[in-house]
Amino acid sequence: MKIFAVGNAFYGDDGVGAAVLDRIRSEGRFPGAELVDVQTDALALLDHLLPGDTAIVIDAARMGLTPGEVVSFRPDEVKLRIQEDHLTAHGFSLAETFALARKLGKMPRDILIIGVEPERIEIDKGLSAVVAAAVPRVISLIAAEVPADV
Amino acid sequence: MSRNLEINVKHLTRVEGHGNIVVNLKDGVLEKARLEIVEAPRYFEALLKGRSFHEAAIITSRICGICSLGHQITSLKATEQALGLTVSPQTVLLRKLLIHGATIQSNVLHAYFLAAPDLLGEGSVFPLVAKSPEVVLRALRMKRLANDIGDVVSGRAVHPITPVPGGFTRIPTAAELQELRRRLEQDMLPDVKATVETLAALRQAFPPFERETEFISLCNDHEYAMYDGDICSSDTGRAPDSEYLKLTNEYIVEHSTSKHARANRESFMVGALARWNNNHDRLAPLAREAAVALGLKPDCCNPYLNTIAQVVEVAHCTLGAMAIIDQLLGDGLVDEKPNQEPTCFGTGIGTTEVPRGILYHEYTYDRQGRIAKANCVIPTGQNLANIDADMRKLVPEIVHKSKEEITLDLEMLVRAYDPCISCSVHLLDVEFSE
Repeated sequence: MKIFAVGNAFYGDDGVGAAVLDRIRSEGRFPGAELVDVQTDALALLDHLLPGDTAIVIDAARMGLTPGEVVSFRPDEVKLRIQEDHLTAHGFSLAETFALARKLGKMPRDILIIGVEPERIEIDKGLSAVVAAAVPRVISLIAAEVPADV
Repeated sequence: MSRNLEINVKHLTRVEGHGNIVVNLKDGVLEKARLEIVEAPRYFEALLKGRSFHEAAIITSRICGICSLGHQITSLKATEQALGLTVSPQTVLLRKLLIHGATIQSNVLHAYFLAAPDLLGEGSVFPLVAKSPEVVLRALRMKRLANDIGDVVSGRAVHPITPVPGGFTRIPTAAELQELRRRLEQDMLPDVKATVETLAALRQAFPPFERETEFISLCNDHEYAMYDGDICSSDTGRAPDSEYLKLTNEYIVEHSTSKHARANRESFMVGALARWNNNHDRLAPLAREAAVALGLKPDCCNPYLNTIAQVVEVAHCTLGAMAIIDQLLGDGLVDEKPNQEPTCFGTGIGTTEVPRGILYHEYTYDRQGRIAKANCVIPTGQNLANIDADMRKLVPEIVHKSKEEITLDLEMLVRAYDPCISCSVHLLDVEFSE
């Protein structure tokens, strides 16, 4: 089991994934899971995805919802759900990264994406109050997915 | 040919950030050919002003997701010069190793994922995956090893942690460096050679366009300059980095939210091709062999071949990284602490070759060690006037082609420069005064 954060923690709510990983570490949750922050390099996900694996990806994404709202979905729904994410590795989005992973046979057995609707993606700002308040809900969603022994 | 032609490419793909290509030809006369930069600028005065010398490199490195290492090293150099902080030879070697890794990473990504689809007549890298998955896997393998150099030496590949003013907060272990050295030799070198073969087979797909151009890069007497050196213009020779403003002369144009620049002509080019033209005789032998195999010659004035120069640099940086590791291990790693005791508070200039070209940061610090004034000149901004000048020469030369073919040639031209438009506008107007 791998838990990925994507996004730039320097740009306000884009750092929600990194904040979730920090909380997991500080609370000692999911000790058997590998925590990976790929930051803005979506293609780096391809370095870590393995066919037999299960993975959770946490991303701030504009989905047309209320800021702070948390939604989980599968890769097939990425294009449907995410109107805009903020990955900047030459414009490779999460949707394109999953498409590449699929074509290269690197797609894990199961991936769950947890999207958090951001309030502000602004440089040099921390998480907004509504997105900070969403962090425990993201962790609850992860807990529901993680096998008991992880 | 008295032709009418209008091209409007909105949000050109496979470049970082948002730019539009606009061409207008009326009765065979070119009225407009330019790259419009439409991204909203983000002002950095408020961010840098009043920040301590500990923070400047962290802030500037996080502006951009793909150019972070280059900004970080350049920022550190500016700060160190302003505060009179000297760094050890080991620090310089580790920084050079990081620059080699970042250059490999960025050049590989550009050549394989952004430029190669054009050479293959495809709209993206996806058809390439179906046709030649081993080529894409090779690119990802190379990118990962380059990222791992960043991880090992700087603590993190994208936004480095351990490089700070005066040195590093953590020195990599000998075992970590030995493992990188082993992978560079056993994995990267064969992949570099295979990359050269793959690109050589596509050589004919590069448009034969040429335009006499001024090339500007760093230059020094002892190596292919990337970490430091004089500023070298192919027109006027070498000048100290204190003269960078005379060699950039930024100005505002109506069609771009990023400033343009000029030196001795209406425009100039920076980046891998400029470095090649000014410093090719200092490349590692394998890189020179790659250049021969890829038909890259000195005094090359074809901007499309910037991609080839990038691949030549991948060969050079692979050997360069191995040599640096050999030197570090041969000298013996010292677990030293960064020198963070300022001896003065003044103005410093940092100048580094980052993948897209020469990058300048200049800071003035007050007596409390806080930034009072800052100026950053970004490679992509320096190239914008040159891209426009190329377009103005190119369009009349290919006017007999179909609109689709002309559009593709123009898109390829812009992509060849590997622009980071986000960076160029992110740093607009960072100059400020009290």
